[in-house]
Amino acid sequence: MTFDRTLAISNRVIRQIVKDHRSLALIIVAPVVVMSLVGFSLVDQEAILNRIAPALLGVFVLFFTFLLTGVSFLRERSQGTLERLHITPVSRADLLVGYLFGFLLFAMLQSAVILGCTVLILPVSYQGDIWQVFVVLMLLTVVAVSLGILVSTFANNEFQVVQFIPIIIVPQIFLTGVIVPVDSMPLVLEKISAILPLRYAVDMLIGIMLKGGSLLDFGTEIIVLAGFGGIFLIGASLTIRR
Amino acid sequence: MTTSDIAVQFEKVSFSYGKLEVISELTTRIPKGEICGVLGANGAGKTTAMRILTGLLKPAKGSVIVLGDQFHRNNLDRIGYMPQLSALYQELSIEENLHFFGRMYGISNKQDRTVAVDKVTSLVDLSDRRRDSVSSLSGGMRQRVSLAVALVHSPELLVLDEPTVGLDPQLRASFWNHFISLANAGITILISSHTMDDANHCHRLIFLQEGRIVADGSPDELRAAVGSSGATLEDAFLHYVLKETQ
Repeated sequence: MTFDRTLAISNRVIRQIVKDHRSLALIIVAPVVVMSLVGFSLVDQEAILNRIAPALLGVFVLFFTFLLTGVSFLRERSQGTLERLHITPVSRADLLVGYLFGFLLFAMLQSAVILGCTVLILPVSYQGDIWQVFVVLMLLTVVAVSLGILVSTFANNEFQVVQFIPIIIVPQIFLTGVIVPVDSMPLVLEKISAILPLRYAVDMLIGIMLKGGSLLDFGTEIIVLAGFGGIFLIGASLTIRR
Repeated sequence: MTTSDIAVQFEKVSFSYGKLEVISELTTRIPKGEICGVLGANGAGKTTAMRILTGLLKPAKGSVIVLGDQFHRNNLDRIGYMPQLSALYQELSIEENLHFFGRMYGISNKQDRTVAVDKVTSLVDLSDRRRDSVSSLSGGMRQRVSLAVALVHSPELLVLDEPTVGLDPQLRASFWNHFISLANAGITILISSHTMDDANHCHRLIFLQEGRIVADGSPDELRAAVGSSGATLEDAFLHYVLKETQ
């Protein structure tokens, strides 16, 4: 792995998105619109909004980051530039880390916008430190970027990437405590929820925002979430040359 | 011909997509500094052979020696590849694309890279458009940028996959002027095509039919084999293909 190549890839990913003004605007506006819609539809039911807001934060960060990364990486593949990169001495690690940092910047921006919208615009009450919530979202962002890259290797076009959403994202929404608390689910669904990364992020977000907990209380969740990120990155590195 | 004179050597190389064998026992040697044309109909195995040479595909059988070594990723900075698709970042400018690929090929010093970028943009006659985004360029200009990307790191071997497809006659002639001057500078060029206009410019031709070499020689040798005076390369190609299918 060479630092200059990794940096060049990150820099190029960032330049590409910045030059595509419409996409850049959508990266910022789309999550605000969706979060605001959900938030204001529950404006008269503050208790429900407060309960689901932390989980929704996680869902939207996972969803938008996965979509951004999956489609961007697929475009790299379909326009032939990824193949062209494979015919340079660039390594898999250069490619993955370069893309990860490039996408991460925009995913962080998106996360900050979603978080800002949730705590500044919507009437959501919270107890814990916001910076700790942001750390959890960043960790989830790394997982979502890795997952997006991995999934894009199994899709031949943008339509197929979108088809992965009901398979990969939707079950996480239903099974990780966003709608029904995990401990109220049938045992089998509770067990399935244990293998979904969003579950651990949502547990931390609820713990920090609703119960005033801190990151120090969630050592296991942090390790598991980081482990998911690592597994997805290894998977992406193994399939990146497909 | 000694090993050090050989740029590319295919030794009984075979490749299949599933059960379909697209390259079969391909054996050939291409000396350094030669322009070698690989000609064949669509599906003859030209692109597959190019992709094996650049390491994108791994042969099922046989060996490939490139610039004196078994294929290795560390050697990729000695090879320039121009794929059929222009394969450029549309949002970025010409020089941003060239700087990026220059860094991928290991030219990490910005000053060295700027010299290389200036040289190739001038070579493909796009110096005055260097700050324009690729998306604003015509198809022919994109092909020229794609060629510049393949050349930015001064490769010893240039692999061009149908580089003249879709080009107007003037641009095609301009491309061939570049290729000939590169070959004169000692660069080996392997070019795939299905047009006989390209074939006429090559030092040597390999005719492929269903993944097999049906003829290998200079344009004059191949024309002579037809046996009639005034035979064209198209006649020669059809002669060999017909002979193979009989």
